Amino acid sequence: MRSWITGSTIAVAMALGLAASPALSQGSGTFKYAEQVKLITMDPQKQSGSGVPFLRPAYESLFEKGPNGENLPLLATDYAVDGLDVTITLRQGVSFTNGEPFNADAAAKNINRGVEIGIVEGLKTVESASAADEYTLIIRLKEFDPAIISTLCYTGGMMIAPAAMADPALDRNPVGTGPYVHIKTESREGEVQVYTPNPTYWDKDKIGLARYEVWEIPDDTARLNALKTGQIDAGNWLSNPQAAIIDRTPDLKLIRNNGGLNYHVIISDREGTVVPAFADPLVRKAMALSIDREGFNKAIQFGLAAKSFQPYGKGDWAYDPALEGVYDYDLDKARDLMAQSKFPDGFSFDMPSIPVYQSRLEALAGFFKEIGITMNIAPQEPGTLARVSRTTAYPATNLVWNTITDPKFLALRYVYDDANYNPFKAKPSETLLALAEEGLTSVETEVRAPVYRKMAEQLAEEAFLIFVTNAPILIGTSEKTANNPTVVYRYGEDSVNLRGLKAND
Amino acid sequence: MLRLIVQRLLALIPLLFIVSVMTFSFTSLLPSDPVDLILGETGTQEQHEMLRERMGLNEPIVVRYVQWLGRAVQGDLGTSFFNSVSVSTALMQRLPVTLSLTLVSALIAVVVGVAAGIAAALRPRSLIDRLATVGATFGQAIPNFWFGLLLVAIFAVNLRWFPATGFSPLSASPVDWLRSVTLPAIALGLSSSAAIARQVRSAMVGVLQQDYIRAARAQGLSSRRVILKHALTNAMVPVVAVLSFQITVLLGGALIVEQVFAINGLGTLAIGAVRQQDIPMIQGLVLVMVGLVVVVQLATDVIYGLLNPKARPS
Repeated sequence: MRSWITGSTIAVAMALGLAASPALSQGSGTFKYAEQVKLITMDPQKQSGSGVPFLRPAYESLFEKGPNGENLPLLATDYAVDGLDVTITLRQGVSFTNGEPFNADAAAKNINRGVEIGIVEGLKTVESASAADEYTLIIRLKEFDPAIISTLCYTGGMMIAPAAMADPALDRNPVGTGPYVHIKTESREGEVQVYTPNPTYWDKDKIGLARYEVWEIPDDTARLNALKTGQIDAGNWLSNPQAAIIDRTPDLKLIRNNGGLNYHVIISDREGTVVPAFADPLVRKAMALSIDREGFNKAIQFGLAAKSFQPYGKGDWAYDPALEGVYDYDLDKARDLMAQSKFPDGFSFDMPSIPVYQSRLEALAGFFKEIGITMNIAPQEPGTLARVSRTTAYPATNLVWNTITDPKFLALRYVYDDANYNPFKAKPSETLLALAEEGLTSVETEVRAPVYRKMAEQLAEEAFLIFVTNAPILIGTSEKTANNPTVVYRYGEDSVNLRGLKAND
Repeated sequence: MLRLIVQRLLALIPLLFIVSVMTFSFTSLLPSDPVDLILGETGTQEQHEMLRERMGLNEPIVVRYVQWLGRAVQGDLGTSFFNSVSVSTALMQRLPVTLSLTLVSALIAVVVGVAAGIAAALRPRSLIDRLATVGATFGQAIPNFWFGLLLVAIFAVNLRWFPATGFSPLSASPVDWLRSVTLPAIALGLSSSAAIARQVRSAMVGVLQQDYIRAARAQGLSSRRVILKHALTNAMVPVVAVLSFQITVLLGGALIVEQVFAINGLGTLAIGAVRQQDIPMIQGLVLVMVGLVVVVQLATDVIYGLLNPKARPS
């Protein structure tokens, strides 16, 4: 009798367990991520900077990056590039959380809206998009764009429900196809955004959480304390003392993800219009050699960055290992080059600075002083450096470059005579121009990589871009998160891949 | 008293007008451009112009101000430059947070400050008096953000008694609210409690030497009654003035402490708005802060009048 009861109980329990399995596919537990920036907008096509972790739960892009930066299908299943026409096959059986079907018409509306708004830089080569049939999207380009599929891996390829585009408050009411749905009633503006599983998600098995939260904690110390006390499971950091503390704390872990920011000096006046010495390549090379990047990294970036001599970091497809150490700190050689130049007695120039770069520039000024160059630091209002760098107000400037940005943008930013950050309209060398053009002839990274490596070598030779350090994307996690096998960081992003993510407990 | 309140509230109108003109003018003079922040580093000149036009930034400053004022008098403080969040909504969401923090800090400051001040005044030059004086100096000297970090390290990170960051609304859970507000309120209230302690001690020492206190004692009144009813009431008159000033200081200090504890109050909103040059949000914030300060001063005058009938307006 007892065994019958026991057996019956087990059978009932198993039956209940099986009956409960659909609920389990909706996920369990909570994962809390902290962002270092405040939420500006949840409209992907109006998003111009950080804050992608707020978008990823609700929005999916047509493609996504694989672990090595390759383009993988997501809402799209295939693509073909034929000159200026990009044909994209879309996934079937997907719907937006407001019930609208995801099809080529919806995708075309998204691409056209992105083009019209004009904030997503990668969509600037797009003429228009249209639906060839229900699940075939055609994107017509203005010019051949090898980076178009890469653009569609990020905000440029995120799909908004067409009806939601008319909502003036779309930036706080995201409607996409993502695995999670934004819950406005449980979110607190400026503090936390809450997401729960999307009941109509096309790939339910990938929903592993009952709740996902993105916290806005801009203060680095407060974010660190939240991580230490378990209030958050992970969060992102820049190379600052708090990140260094995480790196040294036994029960925390600092993840170095692909991508990140390359800090560099730009000699804008490379034809010597205002500062004649800048026209001399020997001077520019001497400046590059005078920088003790190792010391700079330790003192300014707490040892969390890496020396840099090119726009890409190790692991990026365009990275050129041959350039490693090309301008390693060599003060004697730098002084020799200055002595050989037309400016052996040195010269002075002005460099714009915003508070966050002040210590970096003070260090660089010290290095340049050693070879007789006086760099006067000119403070600017925060938020104005990019604008002032596009003018002829200063002969040189300093900026950061996101290392996952497609190399074609390097030419658009610095090389062409009408490049954004070539205010003196300096003519590029024929070699550089030819390489920039050659890089645009294919979408395949295997074909483009050798071209951009040569371009990086040429940039090193001309030395008007002086790369200093490469700081990877830094994500601080608790020990439990570090040991959670479902936590996968998106390539080149400061966000976790939510598809398949499960809670630590 | 009612007349005083009405007069003060009426005086608020020209004050808010002047403050709004000044804020609008100064923020418009800043060299940074919100359009740069919205478009990022890649925006073209054409896009800049289009967006400036759409945001009304190409209009002369006077026209922009008049347009803003026209909406503001109808209760519409506008919308953030950067998202669809209305300024009024943002302010109403953050106001209870900052008020919670400020009021609990003020309460801590008053309780600790008055108690320490009385203890010191009752035994001048004793060990208690010296400890209170040293404590007050210490409290005024150390920055509240540093003290806040210290509290977090001890009571949140090591002992796990309180959360390290965040704010829990009172309506959601009174216990969680109290836990979330305790450490930041202590950090914020420390220097004010020191200032109040000094003031109470000084006032009480003077009052306790008055003839009417000796007379009260001679009548056989209990020491507690003499101190709390007769001495403290009179000593509180200058203390109220200090408290009024301290509440204004606390409102300002909350801007920093909110950052340390990642509390989403007016301070956090203000720092973000200033960084982004979000003019509508800055305008709204300044008006709310000025309004709060005026209300605090009005309350001070009312309390002052209640404590000291001679100070009541005729």
